[in-house]
Amino acid sequence: MTTREQDVLRRVGEASVLILVSLADGPKHGYALIQDVKQFAGVELGPGTLYGALDRLERLGLIESLPASERRHPYRITAPGAAALRVHLDSLERVSAAGRLRLRLGGV
Amino acid sequence: MRAPKAQEGRLVDAALHCYPARWRRRHGGEAAELAALLIRDGNPAASIAWSYLVGAAREWLTPPPGRSLSTVAAALLAATCLLGFSAALVAETAPAKAAGTTQSPSLPIPPKIKPMPPSAGSPHQFTPCHPRQVTDAIPAAGHSHLSLHETAHARSC
Repeated sequence: MTTREQDVLRRVGEASVLILVSLADGPKHGYALIQDVKQFAGVELGPGTLYGALDRLERLGLIESLPASERRHPYRITAPGAAALRVHLDSLERVSAAGRLRLRLGGV
Repeated sequence: MRAPKAQEGRLVDAALHCYPARWRRRHGGEAAELAALLIRDGNPAASIAWSYLVGAAREWLTPPPGRSLSTVAAALLAATCLLGFSAALVAETAPAKAAGTTQSPSLPIPPKIKPMPPSAGSPHQFTPCHPRQVTDAIPAAGHSHLSLHETAHARSC
């Protein structure tokens, strides 16, 4: 299997990747996720987008929901989720490095 | 200031009601609370409601767990084929029905035209009609319809 095929996050969309990055440092519920993503990425996730991405990630087994405190469900990244995020970030890093190098070589 | 807040809440509630019931059971309460927190932070209720509406549309279009996308696609394809088949059937039977209803049953049935023999000196090649074929083509037609069709064929011949 190629590195590209191993990258399961390639097709899940930006919101899912941002959520996984946010959950990488500990469990969070919806509101905390939106605030955190806004802080580190400057992206305001809509609540509809957030729940769609959370459901997709949960179906893929990349995150899991913890028992609710009041009405809020905290979510936690799973071991496969952490592995998938690592693969995806490596892939992004390679693309980023190649892009920067080419820009430098091209003198753009 | 109470009325606008209530209105905002109703807007979000209406958007949340667009989600499937299984989604509302799972996320409904939390989603309403999240919307209230976002509105409190100064986010416009309309944009929150819009986000939920788009999410609801996506939720309806996403196959539920246990049903693969190919199953949903196959069901859609089958439904389309059935619709197409029904439309074709209706289109095929419509002219026959029209012929059956436009002709008054009280009109006298014109006499059958006998095919002319080729030796009659006609410049055209004459092909006689076969009433048997007409009855085969419309098996459900009654006897009076059959006569009408025979007449129509006789005229066209």
